[in-house]
Amino acid sequence: MEIVGDQVVFTGQFARNIFRDGFEWGEFLRQCFIVGYRSIGLVAITGFIIGFVLTLQTQPTLKDFGAESYVPGMVSISIIREIGPVIIALICAGKIASSIGAELGSMKVTEQIDAMEVSSANPVQYLVVTRILACTLMVPLLTIMADALALLGGWVGVNIQDHVSATLFFRKSFAALEFSDVIPSVVKTFFFGYAIGFVGCYKGYHSSRGTESVGRAANSAVVSASLWIILLDAIAVQITNLIYY
Amino acid sequence: MDDTVAQEKTTQTAAADDVVIRIEHLKKSFGDNEVLKDISLELHKGENIVVLGRSGQGKSVAIQCVAGLLEPDEGSLKVLDKEVKELSEEELKDLRSKLGFLFQSGALYDSMTVRENLSFPLTRVLKMKDEAEMEKRIKEVLESVGLEEAIDKYPSDLSGGMRKRVGLARTLILRPEIILYDEPTTGLDPITSREISELIVKLQEKYETSSIIITHDMACARIVADRIAVMNDGKFIATGTYDELAKSPDELINNFFK
Repeated sequence: MEIVGDQVVFTGQFARNIFRDGFEWGEFLRQCFIVGYRSIGLVAITGFIIGFVLTLQTQPTLKDFGAESYVPGMVSISIIREIGPVIIALICAGKIASSIGAELGSMKVTEQIDAMEVSSANPVQYLVVTRILACTLMVPLLTIMADALALLGGWVGVNIQDHVSATLFFRKSFAALEFSDVIPSVVKTFFFGYAIGFVGCYKGYHSSRGTESVGRAANSAVVSASLWIILLDAIAVQITNLIYY
Repeated sequence: MDDTVAQEKTTQTAAADDVVIRIEHLKKSFGDNEVLKDISLELHKGENIVVLGRSGQGKSVAIQCVAGLLEPDEGSLKVLDKEVKELSEEELKDLRSKLGFLFQSGALYDSMTVRENLSFPLTRVLKMKDEAEMEKRIKEVLESVGLEEAIDKYPSDLSGGMRKRVGLARTLILRPEIILYDEPTTGLDPITSREISELIVKLQEKYETSSIIITHDMACARIVADRIAVMNDGKFIATGTYDELAKSPDELINNFFK
């Protein structure tokens, strides 16, 4: 109960400081660069391979049923609706939440956060608001990029055994998609991004004294962020089903 | 007779007005661990008080309460005539801008250069925008601590003593009225310790600050202290000048001066 209370208070501090005077634009852009730009390589490779492997795995089965023409549609729907957002969010939880948890944990241990507080600067505004907002903005963009590369991976996968033109593959992929596939999946990535930033900041900011706690903060940030992503995904699916079906 | 009483009252009021930190019957516990068990202390304007005590006696907890980093359980704590626990977030922020805190490790922001470390409080607290004015102020405090050449270095490139000096410069840049030092010479060699101690005195004279200095280092205490308060088991057991306490018959106090 105490942890829940702490998290509610931390959410309140975050929300209050978003609109407080003196938004840290410089630090926010730096965090967008760290969270977004520095994750591009990992996310791009992951996205491409997801699409590639998914196609290689499903193509023979669909071929047996004479439904090979459904490969692009199946790949795009499964990537856009579910696999892309969730896997990329989990990858980001591992990379970003752990890094934020360790960074803020280490700042806490070395009294840097206390130093900010005692000098009247606002550590929540400088450290927490910027990181959570950067994650909330960058994770959806990374996911969109990964989804696009996954479709490309799917096209490459199809072309290992057959020859399908890019135009045909992508036309069929997009034809299978509806707004009810795209919109909810993009919206949920904002929540995934928020969860990654929030958990990373919360764990780091509330780590106890001692170097061991830095490792613990990083580790528990990944575990908690991953669980939150799975939980939020389950909720998002329920809400999407209620709205569209 | 009446004149004498009036005169005494005037003297007392003058002395009271002179107090910048007044701690009365302060208590602080962490769970079952009672760390501060009723401490009282007054810091006067322009005075340097050294708090001596063995490790784990609550010295750092006491100054963290003064800085508002920890909330005391009981007692009164007035800084610059304001009761800390009654302050709103904004009032506490305002008070902290008049209060400097030098952490044991220096607590420099390790992702920033020395220049950025020093400009951080200027832009956030004083909302300073004029680059030339900031540069002037940064160079002035770095000159005060004798580290002008370190302006573009990162904390990881500095020695322990240099980090303490930069920490001190960052504390001074807001021109605080009170500075709290948490073991300023710990981990330093005797020569650097002496330099830091002399620097504390020099800066106190230059900026007319009042200070509470937590230390185990008797050489530092001898150089900087106007008054020494000895803490044991969460209480102050004696206060006095260095020479007074050095002659104390109490074995516990005397052990510090051996």
